[in-house]
Amino acid sequence: MRPRRYFRLIMLLAGASVSAQLEYRVNFLVNVASSILASGGALFGLSILFSDGQRVGGWTYREAIVVVGLFTLVEGFIATFLQPNLSRVSEAVRTGTMDFTLLKPIDSQFLVSAREVNIFRLSDILIGLGLMLWAVITLHSATPWGVALGIVLILAGLVIVYAIWFILTTTAFWFVNIENLTELFHGLFGAGQFPVTAFPGWTRIVFSFVVPVAFITTVPAEAFIGRADPARAVGAAAIALFLFFVARWFWKFAVRSYTSASS
Amino acid sequence: MPVPLLTDSAMRTSENQLTSMTADPSITVTVRDLRKHYTVHEKEPGIRGSLRSFVRRNSRQVHAVDGVSFDLEAGEMVGFLGPNGAGKTTTLKMLAGLLHPSGGQVRIGPYTPKERRTGFLKLITLVMGQKQQLIWDLPAYDSFLVNQAIYEVPDDQFKATMHEFIETLELEQIVKKQVRKLSLGERMKCELAAAPLHRPRVLFLDEPTIGLDVNMQVRIREFVADYNRRYNATVMLTSHYMADVTALCNRIIVIDKGRIIFDGDLSRLVEQTAPAKIIRLQLSTPVTVEHLASYGHVHSFDGLNVELKVPRAETTRIAARLLAELPVADVTIEDPPIEEIIGQMFSQMRAEQRDQAAAGEPASVA
Ligand SMILES: Nc1ncnc2c1ncn2[C@@H]1O[C@H](COP(=O)(O)OP(=O)(O)O)[C@@H](O)[C@H]1O
Ligand SMILES: [Mg+2]
Repeated sequence: MRPRRYFRLIMLLAGASVSAQLEYRVNFLVNVASSILASGGALFGLSILFSDGQRVGGWTYREAIVVVGLFTLVEGFIATFLQPNLSRVSEAVRTGTMDFTLLKPIDSQFLVSAREVNIFRLSDILIGLGLMLWAVITLHSATPWGVALGIVLILAGLVIVYAIWFILTTTAFWFVNIENLTELFHGLFGAGQFPVTAFPGWTRIVFSFVVPVAFITTVPAEAFIGRADPARAVGAAAIALFLFFVARWFWKFAVRSYTSASS
Repeated sequence: MPVPLLTDSAMRTSENQLTSMTADPSITVTVRDLRKHYTVHEKEPGIRGSLRSFVRRNSRQVHAVDGVSFDLEAGEMVGFLGPNGAGKTTTLKMLAGLLHPSGGQVRIGPYTPKERRTGFLKLITLVMGQKQQLIWDLPAYDSFLVNQAIYEVPDDQFKATMHEFIETLELEQIVKKQVRKLSLGERMKCELAAAPLHRPRVLFLDEPTIGLDVNMQVRIREFVADYNRRYNATVMLTSHYMADVTALCNRIIVIDKGRIIFDGDLSRLVEQTAPAKIIRLQLSTPVTVEHLASYGHVHSFDGLNVELKVPRAETTRIAARLLAELPVADVTIEDPPIEEIIGQMFSQMRAEQRDQAAAGEPASVA
C-alpha cells in the first residue's frame, strides 16, 4: 500500500468520471433541483412534527435539524461516491468486464469503489453541511470537543454506510440483479432523517444494531449538540471497523468463488 | 499424440536480446494436465421446466478443459485453434489467473497464475475480443492514462510506448474521440493498445479480430507481430480467422472437447492431415473432364481453369505428366486451405471415435 499512488489514482479516476459526466450537461440542474426539494420536504415534515413547540423524543426542532442535515449529507455521500460505483459492479459481473478489474495489479475492492464520482450530487453534501452548520451555530450548545467528536463520528458513519452498501453490492456476484436490495437499504435508511430516539423502543434496537441507522445520523448529531454519549460513540467506531472488515472479507470470498466458476 | 516441439524460437530469443533491454528468456509457460470442470444446472425450457428445476436441481459436470499440457518458450507465437466450445477461452482464462483450475498446474515464469500476484499481473495481459475495458464516454487516451497509473508505468516509458502503438495501429485521429463514437474496428484497435501498455511479456489474445474487416485484421496482426518482435513477448492467440494464425504463428495447438489433438508446426499439420495437394492449371485449349480425371480428382473445372486434387507423394510426377501431355499455359501447386485441413482433421477424429464406439468401447460423450 503506497498512499500516494492510491491518491493519484483516485484523482485520475475522479477526473475521468467527471469529464465523462460533463458530456451530459442537463443532468446537473435536475440533480440540484431534486436535492433542494428533498431537504425542503424533510424540513417541512419536521416542522409539522414539532409544530406545537414540543420536544419529540427529547429533541427540539432546531436539534432535529442537525439530524436532517446529517442525513442529507450522508445521502449525498451515497449518491456521489457509492451509488455510481456500486451499480457498475453488477453491470460488470453481468457483462463479464469484471475480468479486467480482477486482472489489474491493484486492490480490486479499491478499484471498483473508486472508479466513479457523481459530481452532480455533491450539491446534497453541501446542502447537508449548510443545514448542520446553521443549526449547530444557532443552538449555542455546541462545544469544541463535541464538534471534533462529531466529525470523527460522521467519518465512522460514512464507513458504516460504505460497508453496508458494499456488502449488498457484493451479492451481485450471485444475484446478478441487485437493484431491489439497494432499494431496500434506501427505504430503511430513510428512517435516519429523524432522531432515532423519536421512535418506539424496539425500532430503536433495529435501527441501532440490525441496520445501524442510528450510528450514521443520530449519534454524530448528539455529539454536535453537546450531548455525546461516550458509550454510543465507542459503539459507532467499533461497528464501523467491524462492518468494514466484514465487507472486505465478503468481497474476497465473492471474488474467490467468481474465479472458480466464471465464464 | 507425442509431438516434438521444435521451433526456431530459441534462435529468435538470442537475436532479440540485442534489441530489447527487458528481454528475460526465463519467462516460459508450462502447463501440465490442466483441467477445468464446470457444474451446470440444467433446466428444461418454459415455466414448467423452471418449476421442476426449482424443486430438484439437475446438475452435470462439463469437462471444459480435460488434461491439457504444453510448454511455451519466451518469444514464441502460438495459434490456439478449435471449434466453438472446445475450451480455448477457459484455458486462456486459467493461464491469465482469472479462473482457478480444477486440476493440474500452470507456471508462468516464477509465478502460479491463480495467485494473481502483482508481479504476475504486470507480466501478462489478456485481450478478449468480445469484452471491452475502455471508458465508454471518454476518448481512449483517458483510459490509457488510467492504465498507466494502475500499472505504475513511468512517464517516459508510457510516452514511448504510446508513440509506438499510435504509429503501428494508426491511432492518431482515433485516440482523441470518445470511445462511443468509434467504429467497432477502431474501438478494437484502442482495446488492443490499452492491453499491453505496461509492456507485458506474455500476451493472451482471445479472438482479437472477431467481427473486423480484412484491413483491420491485417493491421492488428501487424501490431501483434511487431510487439512480439520488439519485446520478445510470448503470444498465445485464438481466432476464428485462419489467416490470423497462418500469418503470425509457426506453431499451432489444436484443442477439441478439452483435449489437445495436435501440437506442432503448421507445416507438419498440413502434411499429416492433408494427404492431398492442389494443382491449379491454366490451359491454352480446352480438354474434357474425363481426360483430366485420369490424372487425379477434379476439384473444379470451367473449360480452361482446372483444379486437380492429387496425392501428396505423387504431386511432382503428376505435374510433370500434365506439363508434358496437356496444353498447359500456367501451373501452380499449393496446399489446401488450412480451414479445410482442420475441418478434415476433426471429421477424421469423429469417424475414428465412431469406429471405436462401434467396436464396443465406450464412446466419449460430448
Ligand atoms: N461458466 C461456465 N459454466 C458452465 N459451463 C461453461 C462455462 N464457461 C464455459 N463453459 C463450457 O465450457 C466449454 C468450453 O467453453 P469455452 O472455453 O468458452 O470454449 P471456446 O472458447 O473454445 O469456444 C463449453 O462447453 C462451454 O459451454
Ligand atoms: Mg471462446
